[in-house]
Amino acid sequence: MKQVRARLIILVLSLGGVVTGCSSQPVTLTDPERDPWEAYNRKIHAFNMGFDRAIFRPVAKGYDVIMPDAPQRGVRNFFRNLAYPVTFLNLILQGKFEDSLTATGRFLANSTFGVLGFFDVATKADIPKFDEDMGQTLAVWGWKDSRYLVMPFFGPYTARDFLGRGFYGYFHPISYVAREYNNYVPLVVDLITLRAELLPFQEEMESAADPYVLIRDVWLQNRQYKIYDGDPPAPDYDALLEEY
Amino acid sequence: MRKLLYTLLVLILSGGNFAWAQEADQRDPQQIVGDAITHTLATLEERREEFAADPATLRPLVREDLLPLLDLEYSARLILGKAGRGISPEQLAAFAEAMSNVLVNRYSDGLLRFRSDEQVEVLPAKGKNTDKLTRVRTRIKLENGGFAPVDYAFHKTDQGWKAFDVTVEGISYVITFRNQISPRVQADGIDKVTADITAGNLKIDE
Repeated sequence: MKQVRARLIILVLSLGGVVTGCSSQPVTLTDPERDPWEAYNRKIHAFNMGFDRAIFRPVAKGYDVIMPDAPQRGVRNFFRNLAYPVTFLNLILQGKFEDSLTATGRFLANSTFGVLGFFDVATKADIPKFDEDMGQTLAVWGWKDSRYLVMPFFGPYTARDFLGRGFYGYFHPISYVAREYNNYVPLVVDLITLRAELLPFQEEMESAADPYVLIRDVWLQNRQYKIYDGDPPAPDYDALLEEY
Repeated sequence: MRKLLYTLLVLILSGGNFAWAQEADQRDPQQIVGDAITHTLATLEERREEFAADPATLRPLVREDLLPLLDLEYSARLILGKAGRGISPEQLAAFAEAMSNVLVNRYSDGLLRFRSDEQVEVLPAKGKNTDKLTRVRTRIKLENGGFAPVDYAFHKTDQGWKAFDVTVEGISYVITFRNQISPRVQADGIDKVTADITAGNLKIDE
């Protein structure tokens, strides 16, 4: 349903721009405060869309066809479990020591009883999930607002989160394998499985009035939500009305 | 022609809301959300096969359940922002109505995909809640064991508490629609946008 869709959209947005459809170039900035680089961003966005249409999406479709749902979920669980070192480190850096222990327990449970992470037994046992990265840590440390930045192939970021991604790459096992062993297979498989999860929502994404703005707004709002661990301040509704 | 349509619309709407207009809803937002969820899910389970065969049959029921709980015109004003400057109350009402149809249809279709092993939970209130803005937090337990958090923003009106925004994983319906729609209104005018939304030519999705 809708909620699940939002979750999936966000998942893919966090790793690659994946919506198709071109939008006309506006003369004025649609969000000067958060997106002053809109002209550049739209170009990269268009490039990403083209890449998605030509290569990324067809491959993900193929994967989706040959792989039944249950093992697909298993592969996703496996990759999610692998993010543990990044999550753990950033929980520590944000002073969430108790949560870092819980995250460790979750990782151990899923890696053993969950057969190397293919089964998310921790969630079934009501152990909370954490989603932390260096970009969020920088935000918690005080870098609250950062400019929106679309990266080739990788999609939505802010300047802060792109910087944070360097750390992420350093500590994430998949990036480690790519760097140390020159083996990019896990990285590519991870991306394909993420993309495949979003396939059912293609049509809806394409039909938005302005897909670029849609992705940006969804991504930035969800980012804020993660930075505040699911409890962000409410939008300033009064400010919206004042313009009326 | 537009005037005629609008008159019809007002008649239909006021007919549907007549009982509600009589007396202000005394329930608090937590109760309203809880009652709505319980009632809608009960209806769904009772007649699931019928709805699955013809999804359109669920829509009027959802509409009946949902609309009295919403402050559609307030949502519409938030979505339009300064793009709504100078429009008439009739234009605002027509726009709000078009948006409500999109909302009801999406919600209704989403409900059909809702499985009985998923559960909705209304969470205890948190943070600062005022007459102007009270947030009701809920979460949907998904079949894979995870949660999808859905929050509702309420404010107090003469008719009692009414919802005006829904937030899913931090993504607000009002904010997201606003940025999709207000540039269109500024470019094409409110009547064209309302007509496009009604005709399904302008799709607005989260």
